[in-house]
Amino acid sequence: MTTSITPTKAGLPPAPPVEAARRGFTEIVAPYAYIAPFFVLFAVFGLIPLLFTFYVALFDWNPIGEHVFVGLDNFSRLLGDVRFWNAARNTVSIWLLSTVPQLLVALVLAHMLNHVRLRLAVFFRMTMLVPYITSVAATAIVFSQMFDRDYGLLNWLLGLVGFEHIDFTQSVMGSHVLIAVMVAWRWFGYTTLLYLASLQAVPRAIYEAAAVDGAGGARQFLHISLPSLRPVIVFTIVTSTIGGLQIFTEALLVNRGAASTCGPIRQCQTLTLFLFEQGFTQFKFGYAAAIGVALFVMVVALAGLNYFLSTRIRPVKG
Amino acid sequence: MKFRNVSAVVLAATAALSMAACSGSSSETSSGGSDGKSFEFWSFTGINAKGSAEEYKKIKPDVQIKLTEVGNAQETAQALTTALAGGKVPDLVLIQGDDLPKFVQQPQNFVDLRTMGADKIKGDYLDWVISQSTTKDGAIIGIPTDVGGMAIAYRTDLFKKAGLPTDREEVGKLWPTWDAFIETGKKYTAATGKAFIDNAGGSIYSQVVNQGQEKYYDPAGNLVYERSPQVKTAFDQALKAVAAGITAKQSTFTEGWSAAMKRGDFAAIAAPVWLLGSIRDNAPDTKGEWDIATIPGGSGNWGGSFLAIPKGAKNPKAAWDYIAATQSPQGQLDHFAQARSLPSTPSVYKDPKLTSAKDEFFSGAPIGTIYTNSLLGLKPFLIGPDSTTIGTEFTNAITNVEQGKGDPAKAWDAAVTNIKTAIGG
Repeated sequence: MTTSITPTKAGLPPAPPVEAARRGFTEIVAPYAYIAPFFVLFAVFGLIPLLFTFYVALFDWNPIGEHVFVGLDNFSRLLGDVRFWNAARNTVSIWLLSTVPQLLVALVLAHMLNHVRLRLAVFFRMTMLVPYITSVAATAIVFSQMFDRDYGLLNWLLGLVGFEHIDFTQSVMGSHVLIAVMVAWRWFGYTTLLYLASLQAVPRAIYEAAAVDGAGGARQFLHISLPSLRPVIVFTIVTSTIGGLQIFTEALLVNRGAASTCGPIRQCQTLTLFLFEQGFTQFKFGYAAAIGVALFVMVVALAGLNYFLSTRIRPVKG
Repeated sequence: MKFRNVSAVVLAATAALSMAACSGSSSETSSGGSDGKSFEFWSFTGINAKGSAEEYKKIKPDVQIKLTEVGNAQETAQALTTALAGGKVPDLVLIQGDDLPKFVQQPQNFVDLRTMGADKIKGDYLDWVISQSTTKDGAIIGIPTDVGGMAIAYRTDLFKKAGLPTDREEVGKLWPTWDAFIETGKKYTAATGKAFIDNAGGSIYSQVVNQGQEKYYDPAGNLVYERSPQVKTAFDQALKAVAAGITAKQSTFTEGWSAAMKRGDFAAIAAPVWLLGSIRDNAPDTKGEWDIATIPGGSGNWGGSFLAIPKGAKNPKAAWDYIAATQSPQGQLDHFAQARSLPSTPSVYKDPKLTSAKDEFFSGAPIGTIYTNSLLGLKPFLIGPDSTTIGTEFTNAITNVEQGKGDPAKAWDAAVTNIKTAIGG
């Protein structure tokens, strides 16, 4: 100790120099160590596969055979591939059919669930989440049976009132509606709860003041609920866009006679299903990777567009 | 957080690859050991692979079989593909006939079984079956474990109601040709107002197309699907059945198909031998109301599997011993007695054990005789890397017309265009 020449501050015991250095080092490193697990996992399961996909997309890549470098061939073929554009059209169509009604229904439901005089509010709010926690596959199978052409519940009811049976799975529009219903069914409760949480942050006094001023339910919804939900609406649009571009399980299970094409004329084959078909039934990994890259570009572009729109909307007063 | 989800799905294709690569490094852990007596075996679910393995252990008690029932046939082939890409492979794997061509195209991934002694036994198997697992250079990468064999399963009660004969001999005589089969269907539909068969793709196209000498490739490996007469005939027959309105428009293995079978909404179905089990499980109440007659054209096959040894196998000898013991003509015959899987070895087709086999669910039909007869008329034809894709596109075009969405006059051209897109891309 007597040999120490470290200057000591008043009130602090002199620390041995080695330990001080170590503590300094630990303090610098520790925060990185704490966040490292995420980044390591992200690198292994996110970033590296992402980069590897870009690499594979440049090859004619047979997983158990040769990997032939073809440059951008996969992409130029993809742009001229009617199946790709068909899948893109289907994806957008199913996304619109599922998202628009779902968000509208969720808005109205959230407004109703937020009502002061609602009895058993907690019960109704929690029930909303049941479809969300149900397995997608189970939902898809049950809905397929309900919508079945010959033996489905829905067509049975249609038949009772004298209508022709509708073949949902075989027509383009029918299959899109069927998948959209499944997607909307799964997500509407979740979206409703998001809206509801946001609505509960709106002071009751505003509603009461509006009621005193003579505003009815519809006016309160339009002029109080809707404007206060704007940020969360933007959020749900962004997430449902990303989710909508990745619809897979429902489409895979709708037409089990021709599962990976979602039917004989690819009537409801989505982009992710097309990727799956090329990658895992045809084993054209290079082409499948190119589809993956195209999908990635579309998601980034749409997310960017959403961001742009949401920043443009924000300054406008509700 | 969302970004992770995006990349996870976008990268589905490569995730499997990278995971396979990861597991490649820790490959020591789960192999059957290297004492030369144990081996790792990948099979399908639902075919009682466990039973076969246990049978083998009775003969060879010192052998350890590490059996994995990977999934259905297609899932097993997918898993094998990723395993081959990643380098960690089983010692023995079961591959379904439909999935075989893409592996035969890449024979460097498998042990040429001639080096193990397959040369000596290859004459035991039906020539058109073993030819499917033989490469252009003559290497044999798989031993056929069973074959499909085709017949028509039909409902005697429904035939009776329609005024048709019910005895299996007479019923077989109703349809020596596919034209006669469709005519019978018309009579049935006219009498009952109900569909005759389940669908045109499975019960007509897939059967007729397999009755020729050439399918989608010529013997030299050139694509001939556009001008192969058998393909065109099969396609036209299927469309004819659709136009006649005798199909229930239910795609095989869908919920509607199962429901229609239970309710008797179709009276006949082209049934490979392994489908009999599905009918039994699906519609148990129809026991005794089914019978089995010969298929129009007399021959046919749908399905069948092969045992292969991947090149990276640690215990190829133990795996081959298993093949040699269980896939001999006698071994396959024993397996038929237990599991009703049809032998691929014609030398046992006259064996009383096979000819005396009857199935009570199907009114005591002599299934061994009926099904093996359908195998003898078949000719070997080349199955190429795109055979499955081409078959799917033709079937899809027929289904599309059957479902009332497609124009029959344009269906052939549409199918050919789709095939060109699919195999060119």
